[in-house]
Amino acid sequence: MAKIISIHSFRGGTGKSNTAANIAALLAGGGKKTGVVDTDIQSPGIHVLFGIDQAAIKYTLNDFLWGKCEIRHASYDMSQAQGIAPPGKLFLIPSSVKTGDIARVLHYGYDVNLLREGFQRLIDELALDYLLIDTHPGLNEETLLSIALSDVLIIVLRPDQQDYQGSAVTVEVSRQLEVPSLLLLVNKVPSILNMDDLKQKVEKTYNCPVAGLIPHSEEMMVLASSGIFALHYPHHPVTELYRRVADMLTA
Amino acid sequence: MQPLSVKTVFQKLSHWGLLWAVLYGLMNILSNQLTLPAAPAIAIRPQVALPMIIGFFYGPLPGFVTGFLGNMIGDVLYGYGIGQFWNWHIANGLMGLVPGLAAMLAGIKVMKTVRDFGIIEAAVVVSCAVAVGVAVCLDLLFIHLMKFPESFNAWILPAFIFNAVSGFILVPVFFLLARRVVITLETRTILTITSLLVVAILSTSITITWAMHDDLTSYNALVNAIYFAGIVSVIMVIIGFASSIYFVKRITGPVTLLTEAAVSVEKGEYDLESIQPVSRRTDELGQLSRVLQNMAGEVYQREQTLKKQVEQLQIRIDRKKMDQDVADIVGTDYFQDLREKVKEFRKK
Repeated sequence: MAKIISIHSFRGGTGKSNTAANIAALLAGGGKKTGVVDTDIQSPGIHVLFGIDQAAIKYTLNDFLWGKCEIRHASYDMSQAQGIAPPGKLFLIPSSVKTGDIARVLHYGYDVNLLREGFQRLIDELALDYLLIDTHPGLNEETLLSIALSDVLIIVLRPDQQDYQGSAVTVEVSRQLEVPSLLLLVNKVPSILNMDDLKQKVEKTYNCPVAGLIPHSEEMMVLASSGIFALHYPHHPVTELYRRVADMLTA
Repeated sequence: MQPLSVKTVFQKLSHWGLLWAVLYGLMNILSNQLTLPAAPAIAIRPQVALPMIIGFFYGPLPGFVTGFLGNMIGDVLYGYGIGQFWNWHIANGLMGLVPGLAAMLAGIKVMKTVRDFGIIEAAVVVSCAVAVGVAVCLDLLFIHLMKFPESFNAWILPAFIFNAVSGFILVPVFFLLARRVVITLETRTILTITSLLVVAILSTSITITWAMHDDLTSYNALVNAIYFAGIVSVIMVIIGFASSIYFVKRITGPVTLLTEAAVSVEKGEYDLESIQPVSRRTDELGQLSRVLQNMAGEVYQREQTLKKQVEQLQIRIDRKKMDQDVADIVGTDYFQDLREKVKEFRKK
């Protein structure tokens, strides 16, 4: 049975897409068939991390949602480009970066139920073990749907008051949607903070396990928008932290 | 070989003391017109500082050349001839040689500390004593022009005193002019105290000399001279007192400011704008002030970081706002519908 994992954050800029890409890469690297869907249609970005050639993208998630194609036509096998060895597979389902397409979503919206159907078909047709959903920040309808469909919800937050407050809302809403597993991932932690203290405090506040605390890393910042960190630095301590999160998902 | 330009020739000549010797000779001619009232046989010769300075700056040999050759040139131009007072050529040469040796042995290129200052001034006085001593010895041995004790009291002792005082006062001035004094609290203080001392001594001696100028054989003349000396003394005390206060304030004022700043840092105030003027100084106080400012800035930064750290570790959640936000989402038809559908979906 495939697992759907949503990666969400209350605000933008938390490193949500980066987290999704790294965890997906590590799952695929561990021999799992993994798909990543960019449902952040209003501000897509995860495709940049995969280094996918714009010219090679014929169909996107937008085309599927507007009935222009099948969902499998909008999925791209990134295994070879990212050096994932069989039996692992890494698929990307990007959103359109064309401003016209983005404007259309903002203006007309789309059939949210079709998104659910799309996820299911992806899992079936690509024989996925894991489907990761990179959501849009905030709690709009398609994000709520993604959360509702998830087996695991990973909430990415930075250690600041606004993220603390927003994440509390997300945690509560997810509990009402009865998401089976909730995980918190504290990202961009300044080096001055004591990791253990912070972990304890966050777990106590949300009554929810913390999957990891990722320190603010200079190397990460350099590579942040040009590649998948875990694949470039497989032995870096930060990669180890991501790997632990991936291991929690496969356990 | 490099062709010699006018500039390099000039530099070489000055480096070996030859140019300075010419200058010294000319100055000797000019100053021969000036004499001390108490010892008319001795010319006032503040230029004796020149061979000393050349000794300090360029070394013992150029110092010797300046004094030796300079005195010879002066004598020739004045009409004494080269050989008549040859012992004084050597004596003048020694006034350049001794300071040069002292600076070389003590490793002094610039005046940096009180020790440097002391060695320089001691070398000045010693060079004068050696010069006079050698001149006298040479006369006793070879020339036999001096009469003792008359010559000694009449002009040899005054000559020594006057040369020593001139060098003592002028050599530090030349060090300052040549920018060979590193301005530190130490040099600043010693130069200030020394200049006060020099002004006091000079004014006293000038007053006495001036008073002695008149014929003091009558009672009235003596009383007048004492009055005159008294008035000058009172004026000097007032000026000296005022300038002492000024210099003390200049040196201790910044210390007071720094102390106040340090106390305010202790109280947790890190704005050290008040010591900005002290920080602009180039001496130790300036350095101390800058270090204090930097340290205060760093402490302030660390305190801010610590505050931020505590802030970030405190997770405060506004429950009321959270409940309202959750209610806004959960209350929609869409959410209710979604929750029902998901329940069915999960059952499968």
